[in-house]
Amino acid sequence: MIFLDNAGTTKMFEECVDIHKKFSCKEFFNPSALSTESLNCEKLILEAEKYILKRLDAPEGNILFTGCATESNNLAIKGSLRSGKYEYVFSAGEHPSVFNVAKKLEADGYIVHIVPLANDGRVDLQKLESVLNQNTRLISIMHVSNETGAINDLEKISKLKEKFCPKAILHVDGVQGFMKIPFSMRKTAIDLYSFSGHKIHGPKGIAGLYVKNKNALKQIFEGGGQQFGLRSGTENVSGIMQLKKAVELLDEKKNFEHVSKLKELFNKNLSIYNGIKILNFDGSPYIESVIFSGVKGETMLHALDSEGVIVGLGSACSSKKAGNRILEELKVAHDDIVSSVRISFNAFQTEDEILSACEIIGRVYKDIKERVS
Amino acid sequence: MKKVLLLKFGELFLKGKNRNEFKKLLKHNIMKKLSGLSFRLGEEQGRLFVCDFDENQTDEFVERLQSVFGLIALASATEIDTGLEEIKGFVSKIDFSDTKTFKVDVKRADKSFSVLSNDLEKLLGGIVLDNNPNLKVDLYTPERVLNVEIRTNQKTYIYDKLLPCAGGLPLGSAGRGLLLLSGGIDSPVAGYLVSKRGLEIEAVHFHSYPYTSVQAKEKVIELAKLISRYCGKIKLHIVSFTQIQEQIHKNCDADYMITIMRRIMMRIAERLCKKNGLGAIVTGESLGQVASQTMQSMNVTNSVVSIPVFRPVLCFDKEEIMNVARKIKTYDTSILPYEDCCTVFLPKNPVIKPTIKRAEFLEKKLDVDFLVECAIDNEEILEIDEY
Repeated sequence: MIFLDNAGTTKMFEECVDIHKKFSCKEFFNPSALSTESLNCEKLILEAEKYILKRLDAPEGNILFTGCATESNNLAIKGSLRSGKYEYVFSAGEHPSVFNVAKKLEADGYIVHIVPLANDGRVDLQKLESVLNQNTRLISIMHVSNETGAINDLEKISKLKEKFCPKAILHVDGVQGFMKIPFSMRKTAIDLYSFSGHKIHGPKGIAGLYVKNKNALKQIFEGGGQQFGLRSGTENVSGIMQLKKAVELLDEKKNFEHVSKLKELFNKNLSIYNGIKILNFDGSPYIESVIFSGVKGETMLHALDSEGVIVGLGSACSSKKAGNRILEELKVAHDDIVSSVRISFNAFQTEDEILSACEIIGRVYKDIKERVS
Repeated sequence: MKKVLLLKFGELFLKGKNRNEFKKLLKHNIMKKLSGLSFRLGEEQGRLFVCDFDENQTDEFVERLQSVFGLIALASATEIDTGLEEIKGFVSKIDFSDTKTFKVDVKRADKSFSVLSNDLEKLLGGIVLDNNPNLKVDLYTPERVLNVEIRTNQKTYIYDKLLPCAGGLPLGSAGRGLLLLSGGIDSPVAGYLVSKRGLEIEAVHFHSYPYTSVQAKEKVIELAKLISRYCGKIKLHIVSFTQIQEQIHKNCDADYMITIMRRIMMRIAERLCKKNGLGAIVTGESLGQVASQTMQSMNVTNSVVSIPVFRPVLCFDKEEIMNVARKIKTYDTSILPYEDCCTVFLPKNPVIKPTIKRAEFLEKKLDVDFLVECAIDNEEILEIDEY
């Protein structure tokens, strides 16, 4: 099986399994209790937090551990709402866990600006600039597009924020960038940054939210007051330790180079087939959209599935709906959208794997195209 | 004094000389539906009742019995020994505190019982009124009816309300047919409706992997499971339509795509009927709902088979079909967004009034017999157990 849907999820490191066993059966203590063992768990969580802050190159701040990136995004946005004539700014390219929150805020009467994307798949900075002002309370823009791989320029966006609305909160959904794209929090003005465990070979059910200033965030549900009251609920010690392990095992700079080579190889070997187009947004090497002219993306997905190649269909969360909001936003032709699939790599794939994937994809496409034309 | 479930059957009474045959089948179906539970199925003067069961399981019994075709209603009743004092004593203890109006309805199958029905109604009504001074009698629209049935087995049955059952005729009494089951809303409803008239069914589903998803097939299996609650065990034939669709797409005019597809589906269905001893094809077609369901289309698709084709939702509006689907709990599954094979290669303008002549002409470009043969040879069969 060749798995090319790594933006959907990734295979977990086996090292995480051992950690799960250790913190579930042996060191299973509640970090908030008063025993020595519990205290030890609490210390380990603090160490994990520090380690992740270091890997983000963040000189200050905290990490809140949540259950999934959808929760992190909801906490970041809803925890930043304030009453008064504030304005909330989102990009049109956001994942549903941000975009649908924006839509909900709009329906609830908040002033919401959705900033369109430029042709390169990134948020249109001129248009962004035009909506920022002293009333801007929150800017929420993703790091890497889960559909196209386009990377937003977080340093430029930070500068715009500092210039036009220094008091605003800048939230970044970093799910597809975290530990994939070399990045330094220090060089940005980011206040909140969401990330997830299972997209980086960690377990499902653990995610995080980097918070620069915890006093600027409000909790969105009440409970026992864990994690400064911002995310009540017993900490998922095992999940946190597995997340830390996954981060330890990743070298984003080295991996970036490796995956860039894989992508280049993939694109080169696929471009020899008539009718296959790569939607190149010159972004993350991990993600891209491929168009199979004349064949529905879903048909390609099923046909490849039976040949042992697993690909994605846009964002898994939106694949059941007609069309693709992001590609439509980017004015990709309707027929091309219907014929698109999402390919996403991981850092542990080999050139041989990619070459055989290309061979299978090319063969399956030629076969199906012949059958449907 | 014990609890029993009184079972009422509807149309069986109309069956004259065949009535016993129908009843035998109904009893068989009830026994099957209640299998795994401990109980006795009793019969007295044409009335069936379930007794000797664990009262804590009453809900389970009621739920299962409500899906048995042939039963029109059931009542959870208390059985007491027949005797004026026993009846009076029992009625005087019934709690009416939440009721404003009531009436008493007495049926005296045991004509030897000394008090006439009318007199007993007045007598029992009087007792209830004495005990509940705020209560009023309402003979026309009472909030609550106290039913008292004096049967010939020296037992009297007292119950409040009748719970509706599925109605219809006992499953199997009308023979066996083959349902064309897509993933949509209409065909499960069609299956339910013919089963209600006593037809046992097998089902056939056509899929077009990779043009349709594995989920689309799983959805159909789920629908078959859901209707098996009413239709009983279902043998589900899963037939690949991929090659046939590709051949039609390649060789025939696009506007006739669906017409020819449906003609081939009907041929496959008829072959499966003959192979499996089934006497009719059942479809979820509704007159005029889509291009392939006009009178002319149905004529052209029907003309390739010689066995009867039943279309139980032919005259239902979409909304009416949806209401039945909600009732039998298939609706939520039917609307899951997986494509079925009818939506692949969908022509922009399908023909609304096709002709047999044109369809036959276009089909000459296909080796229809071979395609039908291949499809049947490669069918996958799943046995769906009764839900």
